Amino acid sequence: MSEMSKLNPTLDTIRRIHELLPSFYTKQAQRDAGGPVAWCMAAVSAEILYAFNLHAEWPESFGAFCAAKGISPHFMEQAEADGYSAELCSYVRNTIGYVSRMVEVGGQPPEAPKGGMGTPTMLLGAGVICDPRLKWFQTLSSRYLKGVPVFHTDSMSPPPGTDASDPKVKAHYMQLLRQTVHEQIDFIAKQLGRPIDLDRLRNALALAQEQNLLTWEMHTLRAAVPCPMSSGEFFYACPAPLQFMTGQPEAVAFLRCLRDELRERVARGIGTIENERYRLAWLGLPPWFNLGFFDRLGELGVVFPVESVYLEGEPVQIDLSDPVEALIERSWKRSEWTRKNGSEINPDTLAACNMSVAGTQLMRSWVKKFKLDGVIMHRTRSCRAVSFGQTHMKNIFAEEGIPTLVLESDMGDPRTWQQSVFMENVRGLLATIDGARKAV
Amino acid sequence: MALSALARARAIYESRGERARELKAEGRKVLGYMCNFAPIEMVEAVGLVPYRIRGDTQERVTEADQFVEASGCPFVRNTFDQALKGRYDFLDGLVMSHACDSVQRMYGIWTQHKPAAFNYLFNVPHTVTQGTERFFMRELQIFREALEKFSGRKMDDATLAAAIDLYNRNRKLIGELYALRRTDPPLITGAEMLEVLIAGTGVPGAEFETLLTEVKAEVLGRSRKPEKKAARLMFYGCINDDTTLVRLIEECSASLVMDDTCIGARSMLGNVGGGEQMLEGLMHYYFRNFQCPRTYRGTDMKRFDYLIESAREANAQGVVLYILSFCDPHKADVVEVRSYLEEAGLPSLVLEDDYSMGNLESMRTRIEAFIETIA
Repeated sequence: MSEMSKLNPTLDTIRRIHELLPSFYTKQAQRDAGGPVAWCMAAVSAEILYAFNLHAEWPESFGAFCAAKGISPHFMEQAEADGYSAELCSYVRNTIGYVSRMVEVGGQPPEAPKGGMGTPTMLLGAGVICDPRLKWFQTLSSRYLKGVPVFHTDSMSPPPGTDASDPKVKAHYMQLLRQTVHEQIDFIAKQLGRPIDLDRLRNALALAQEQNLLTWEMHTLRAAVPCPMSSGEFFYACPAPLQFMTGQPEAVAFLRCLRDELRERVARGIGTIENERYRLAWLGLPPWFNLGFFDRLGELGVVFPVESVYLEGEPVQIDLSDPVEALIERSWKRSEWTRKNGSEINPDTLAACNMSVAGTQLMRSWVKKFKLDGVIMHRTRSCRAVSFGQTHMKNIFAEEGIPTLVLESDMGDPRTWQQSVFMENVRGLLATIDGARKAV
Repeated sequence: MALSALARARAIYESRGERARELKAEGRKVLGYMCNFAPIEMVEAVGLVPYRIRGDTQERVTEADQFVEASGCPFVRNTFDQALKGRYDFLDGLVMSHACDSVQRMYGIWTQHKPAAFNYLFNVPHTVTQGTERFFMRELQIFREALEKFSGRKMDDATLAAAIDLYNRNRKLIGELYALRRTDPPLITGAEMLEVLIAGTGVPGAEFETLLTEVKAEVLGRSRKPEKKAARLMFYGCINDDTTLVRLIEECSASLVMDDTCIGARSMLGNVGGGEQMLEGLMHYYFRNFQCPRTYRGTDMKRFDYLIESAREANAQGVVLYILSFCDPHKADVVEVRSYLEEAGLPSLVLEDDYSMGNLESMRTRIEAFIETIA
């Protein structure tokens, strides 16, 4: 284990991300142009926003960005000084601190990176994934951004053990999803004073289908040995196009370019590092403030060919003649796929967006598919949605003979990170893997 | 010698499910439930014994750590730990409601490791709209059918109406006991009240009715009344199924005269209405009007008016806010709740706990200081 591995150059597509995704990385100009601004939670359909041509800001993404820029502790401390518990989601605390500063200075806080998020004219929430999301925008509008209207979609998923192929079950859940999607569209239309552009929605959904094919192929390409892209690069480059730009031409072009580059790397046998020695799965959200951690592990010969979050899942093809109905049908199919792959610890996944969550059976299958030697779980203390159930997953990997290391920290709060301790822990995991190999 | 009604309530409270186990030995099926969205009236209507799953603050979590992490709801972890230790082996069925992330995730893990003969997750939307209310009504109907299948008994409208009527009578009696807390000093202490309520969650509805009736008569008839204390307080917050903290507050020279928690006024007062539209009545009671902070109720601070009204009606001078670690809905709300209470002239004290009551002496100091400032 003493030999260090050399990192290969970053994928060219990822190096050019700012150039390839200008509408995501140059929002200041769009904000300066004026007009409505929606703050949106992940799991709000980016295709619907695109169809309305509505400028969207994503506080979760902003939280990750603030963490990467080292400013999140400042905003979180402001939220904590306002009384909010440090146990609450660090994205939530980051946003609360940010708006608290907005109120304090009467505009965008000058310390906010990239000009902040702009002043919202509406808050679009999504009731899936976790509890704090329901409280988050409620708090913002009750206390800081008084009077800014809020709309939450509210869809539920069939519980584990339910036969989702039963038409009665499907009808029960689809009725709620259909209702909430239509209410959301009506709400946005009312705020903007104009209807949704259904042709634009159809186009976005068509591109989202292509995007889904691309991401599934990339997911599969990453199973190659050596692994062409590790989780560090994935987390740096992929959440924005996958989650916040779904179905937008720029996002699809970017992903196509990235897919092509992965194909080429696989064909030429080039990995993300030279001398790949350990293949691990990453479970949980990354430490956004320290994506360089993945490089440090790369130097130890570690690659992460797969991660449990931001998974689009198996491609779903749908009839787009009625685009709103297509969006709803796609959500159901994706939820069915998640259920088929084990859903006992998953949150509600029946969301009108393009995301899925890895089920436990799916993760079990990853051991062979990605030739895993071990797992690192990032237990994000402020995020119950991702962390609660990880021990259950750890047990499942143990049944497959795969050791797991748990690192407890946070996705957005660097105050919880212990680099030297974690590096030591990782070396321990790698020694365990080495020991197991020798024993064979 | 037969125990008095209050002593009997205490015995049921302390025996932790003994009555349910007796009924099980007599051939009845017992259905354990967690959280308060799936109506117990329906459970009773098919002849099952409803039993509210409790944790045990006095027992350290030892087994559950193998399956769930420490950074989740400590109450949920504790109940699962109890299950792993076999304390709930007498349950024939398990019904958990999708109240919060922790309960929802726990259901999947619990039923993998300690499945009952009947396992059920009652799904609950997070917002209150016409669409979500219709969803909840359909959930009620699906739950009804599942209970019928499990119990082998038809839940006809007459039996459901009778069960609703029984629990409405119980809620009315609970309301009458709460009214006895409005006097100064109150005629029944907060600890006695909580013991009665917890006892009632572990016995069939008819036995609870008898207990409530006898407790009321005993309280009205007893010559030795609770003593007058320095302050009258309201108790708000997370689930509290243990009388330790309530006793501590009352030892610190305060009377707990009202509460807003889910074994208490939040879920055990009021009335299921609706007449013949029983599912609609149940939906109103268990969803639209049930003030659990996990449900989004808009951004107007008036959503907390019911708290102010309750405190005023009970002549409370301040509010103790009891918040469990990692309870995101309560932790997010508590800042606004405090500020709204303060605006209404009601001081508050936040007590955080990890469902172990491990810091009682520090709590005592803070409670005493709080009472001193408001008395």
